[in-house]
Amino acid sequence: MTDLTLDGNALAGLLAETLGADLTAAPRRCASCGRVSEVGAHRLYRGAGLVLRCPACGDEAARIAVLPDRLVLRLSGTWRVEVTRR
Amino acid sequence: MREVVAETGRARTIVLEVRGWPGHVAGQHLDLRLTAEDGYQAQRSYSIASAPEDEVIALTVERIDDGEVSPFLVDEVRAGDELEVRGPVGGYFTWRVRDGGPLLLLAGGSGVVPLMAMLRHRAARNSTVDTRLLVSARSAVDLLYRGELRSLADGRGLALHETLTREQPVGWTGFARRMDAEMLMEVGPPALARPRVFVCGPTAFVERGADLLVGLGHAPAAIRAERFGPTGG
Repeated sequence: MTDLTLDGNALAGLLAETLGADLTAAPRRCASCGRVSEVGAHRLYRGAGLVLRCPACGDEAARIAVLPDRLVLRLSGTWRVEVTRR
Repeated sequence: MREVVAETGRARTIVLEVRGWPGHVAGQHLDLRLTAEDGYQAQRSYSIASAPEDEVIALTVERIDDGEVSPFLVDEVRAGDELEVRGPVGGYFTWRVRDGGPLLLLAGGSGVVPLMAMLRHRAARNSTVDTRLLVSARSAVDLLYRGELRSLADGRGLALHETLTREQPVGWTGFARRMDAEMLMEVGPPALARPRVFVCGPTAFVERGADLLVGLGHAPAAIRAERFGPTGG
């Protein structure tokens, strides 16, 4: 499935659209293995939906469904979000 | 859309003027949305090739033959066309002059695009930070930005290395094989110099680069990677 694998960088726009902030540099702690990795360093698998996975253990970090009229986002683990105030 | 520049047989640079553009950081991308007459929408993310200091936004797009969006961008779009963009997006795979170096940039194919933004930014700021760029492509005609990279690498601390993995022209003096540990040792800088590393390309290239670098003693945290499409074309 190599050619269907990307990384969290590709989610920058969708995360900004759903959560209102650019999260690719945000650290996320995996609920399964405890590793802290930036969202941009996570693996992204594209199938019927988009699944973001921990780069260390593969546990699910986020699941995103892009539907014609809405985006649905499910997050797992601990996301620490820090944004620059304008 | 202000201008279209042919880069290689498969790639074109699209130069955009974006109203209200808030400015970007080298390495970021933007999302481009196309809407068909029947309302069908396709959205793709493209790395920005221009420096933050440039007045216009340049994207270099490679055609994916069965893609939905890239053939339109590479073959159809004309100066004066309006495109819907959102961005800039991405805060992980970015570099500013003040972040410092040394820098090691590894590009597989069109993965050189966001790295080009970093190099243009570096040049615009007259930075001479030690920078090594390794570009891997199948053949010489696939190398993007060749002339500009040559002139940027003319002194000022930037060393340009190229490898052609499939086909080499007569008299080729660059590398002629897939990226390996020996090649990375020759390109440098060594792990002891603690370079910031940016690797961008197809997934297989990025994984290989990251594995080789860790094997050479580079800290995983110093290696930032961006896997480059195909994002469905």
